[in-house]
Amino acid sequence: MSHLRCENVTVCFGGVVACDNINLEVPEGKIIGLIGPNGAGKTTLFNVLNRFQEYETGHTYYREQNVDNKKPHEMIDLGMARTFQNLNLFSEQSTLDNILIGAHRLIGNAFANMFSLPGARRNEAALVDKAVAIADMLQLSGELDNPVKNLSYGYRKRVELARALAAEPEIILLDEPVAGCNEEATRELVDIVRHVNRNLGVTFLVVEHDMSMVMKVCDYIYVINFGANLADGTPAEVRADADVIAAYLGEATQ
Amino acid sequence: MGDVATSAVAARPTRYNRAVTALKAQFERQNWALAVLFFVVLLIFPALPFVEGWMAYQASLIVIYIMAAQGVSILTGFTGLVTVGHGGFLAIGAYTAALLMKYTGLSVIPGMIAGGVMAAFIGCLLGLIFLRLAGAFMAIGTLGFAFFIGSIFNNVPIFEGRTGISLPPNTVFGVEIDDFGFYYVCVLALALITLFVYSLIRSGVGRAFKALRDSEKAAESSGVNRLLYRTLAFSISAFITGVAGALNGLIVNYVSAEVYGDIWYSVDLLVAAVVGGSALLFGPFFGGFFVAMVPFYFEELRDFAFILKGVVLIAVLVLAPAGVAEVIARPFRAWRRRLLDKARGSAQTVEAEGARS
Amino acid sequence: MLGQQIMSGLATGSLYALTAVAVVVVFRNTRTINLAQGDFAMMGAFLALVFLKTFELNYYLTVALTVICIMGLGVLTERLIMRRIADADWLTLFTATLGVYYILHGISGWIWGRDTKAFPITFDPTPVEVLGTIVSQGHLINMAWTAGIGVALYLFFQYTKQGIAMRAVTDDPVTAELMGIPVRFIVMLTWAMAGLLAAFAGILIAPIIYVAPEMMDEVLIKGYVAAVFGGLYSIPGAIVGALMIGVAENLAGGYLGAHYKVVTAFVMIVVLLAFRPQGLFGIQRRREI
Repeated sequence: MSHLRCENVTVCFGGVVACDNINLEVPEGKIIGLIGPNGAGKTTLFNVLNRFQEYETGHTYYREQNVDNKKPHEMIDLGMARTFQNLNLFSEQSTLDNILIGAHRLIGNAFANMFSLPGARRNEAALVDKAVAIADMLQLSGELDNPVKNLSYGYRKRVELARALAAEPEIILLDEPVAGCNEEATRELVDIVRHVNRNLGVTFLVVEHDMSMVMKVCDYIYVINFGANLADGTPAEVRADADVIAAYLGEATQ
Repeated sequence: MGDVATSAVAARPTRYNRAVTALKAQFERQNWALAVLFFVVLLIFPALPFVEGWMAYQASLIVIYIMAAQGVSILTGFTGLVTVGHGGFLAIGAYTAALLMKYTGLSVIPGMIAGGVMAAFIGCLLGLIFLRLAGAFMAIGTLGFAFFIGSIFNNVPIFEGRTGISLPPNTVFGVEIDDFGFYYVCVLALALITLFVYSLIRSGVGRAFKALRDSEKAAESSGVNRLLYRTLAFSISAFITGVAGALNGLIVNYVSAEVYGDIWYSVDLLVAAVVGGSALLFGPFFGGFFVAMVPFYFEELRDFAFILKGVVLIAVLVLAPAGVAEVIARPFRAWRRRLLDKARGSAQTVEAEGARS
Repeated sequence: MLGQQIMSGLATGSLYALTAVAVVVVFRNTRTINLAQGDFAMMGAFLALVFLKTFELNYYLTVALTVICIMGLGVLTERLIMRRIADADWLTLFTATLGVYYILHGISGWIWGRDTKAFPITFDPTPVEVLGTIVSQGHLINMAWTAGIGVALYLFFQYTKQGIAMRAVTDDPVTAELMGIPVRFIVMLTWAMAGLLAAFAGILIAPIIYVAPEMMDEVLIKGYVAAVFGGLYSIPGAIVGALMIGVAENLAGGYLGAHYKVVTAFVMIVVLLAFRPQGLFGIQRRREI
């Protein structure tokens, strides 16, 4: 069944068409890739799916429920989390606090929470336990009390992912999760994504430039260029597609 | 999705779980001890031999300012919103308590609460208009609100404009109280409110406020309903300042547009929050003390008081923008961080990571 | 009668406009909401009063001297204070101008006292007839000055090197700097301009109200509201907003009663922000303020 789907979505910024009749479908439980040259409109599409971005035409569906009018914070309630390309962490706050905010939708009744009533306190303790467990899984345990601004880039990328996981989402949108990471960090992240996908059943939509990573981890890939669908298929199909090669490499290699 | 916590990793008590949790609990106990000590000192203060009625009065004023500044700091320091109009909530609190006392004979404690509730109500309404806006617009909107409320109190007859409303002596549970009694009421209110703010800051709601302050996009992406939480912050902030306002009116048994009709309270409270440090729990204690004591020392030289406040404000912004409290807290925080680091051996982890990436 | 009210509304509005334009110019070049703008004008009014009464200088000389002094005040503020926190968030910048507000209030009260003083009226008080309505000459003179300043500003921004450079800094300070525009100098020029506008505002308003440390407080807030009409970005928008406030205020005062005059500005801003948060003319800015 389709987990996330967008249909004929068009986004215009003044005269510029950022997304041109995009169609994309993410089936449940799969890892779907979204690739395309720089400026192709991938992050704009993410903002559309996350509901930060309005669109002129088209519709978006979450589990076949129309979400055109939803606000970003409502998408999390539905089960969709997202990471940011340029990392959008709370740099002065600690790793633990950053992860905990991801679990915001689980804090229960706001008044009970504010006054630290007994039930809310138990809930908070449980959330902290979960955050610690996620940090453990991503090997961030040592940095839980460190303000995020003190962490290296690789660590901060993991905190961003941890925050998404803290929401106990059904689907996660990853925006360039391994950008700027070395081979080892990339491998680790791929392992984590696979683990979360296979053992916890989380669907993934991944935007990436690292081709080997995308080809290795994705079940299906969408290619967009100049804001429009260019091709889609399994990694093998996409790799061999002439249009895709032309778009990425310019001229066909001799 | 399955619960991440059920993964085998969570079951294993790591070094974090034991040493660090114990250390954090210790810090928490230290915080509590300091707070209790502080309030005990406040409570003992009137019993000291040299303390006279007017000193209790001045101390009450300081407590009131601290409370009002706490209201402001919840909004500016913790949620990242600007308000140059909180004097309006102070005034609303004062007038609500005054009118209730005049027409229904309400005593101090219900008057206080009523003042807070009314301020919160108006704050909520105001929030609906202004909280959608970007920071600069909101600042101007709240400033306009302060002027507006000032002119309402100046012109609408029931508030008796500049003549003001004189009130009967304050009573608690039917017993008339003097300066000392009023002081205790103020300290009690401050203690309860501080307790609440402490709980709020550490709660999930407090996290949501801080998240909105630090990165709205990330906060919304994580599920924080921006408008709802901003309004909540605004209302809570207005409530606290409203309670302070009620006490401010009742302490002199008098409210008038002469006192509440302009923006001086609004900017004074902003000064208190900024100078003290709006992102710390005890920041308003410093800021409130400063703003309350300046007119006390410079009663004759009011102009010099203005200049002093301006100079101190600018000095703080240039030298210690996070407030006086932050500067004082720095060595303690660094010391606690060092203890935490030792407890989990993070120093080595960062080094190792630096070599890899 | 209506025409008269509109005319005098336009006159008062044109005085608010001077403050509103200054607020916009400072804000769009430096991200600072200048809370001291009103007090710059107030200092201008006091200085002009001193020049006129104590030194008995002629009116035009007074204006020139006052303008120079208050421009200096603006530059002084920028160099001593704003420059040191230039990279801070806008709340810090705003609160710093609040500090200046306090200081100027204190200084003026200390030097000249807090009682209200009268400013000598330098124009002929007999009213004249314009477009079928009767207007005081003072009003006309104010509108003329404001219009003149408006035209001068327009020419400045369109045709002079500094004006064009200022517009570049408004749009994109980083690129402007990379292109060789001396951004720090432009910022100083911005504050000097705020001083100039404030000086005129103070001198022109003083005869109409009075001279005292708090004289500009109400005008300031109306200037802000007008600036918001322009989205805190557009000068024509701010001017239109200011004129609208002047007229609306007068009409409200005339038809509903004097009490309602004061709340007009607030009601206007509430209505505006509820329905069109970016202002009448404001450009939608994606940047988080």
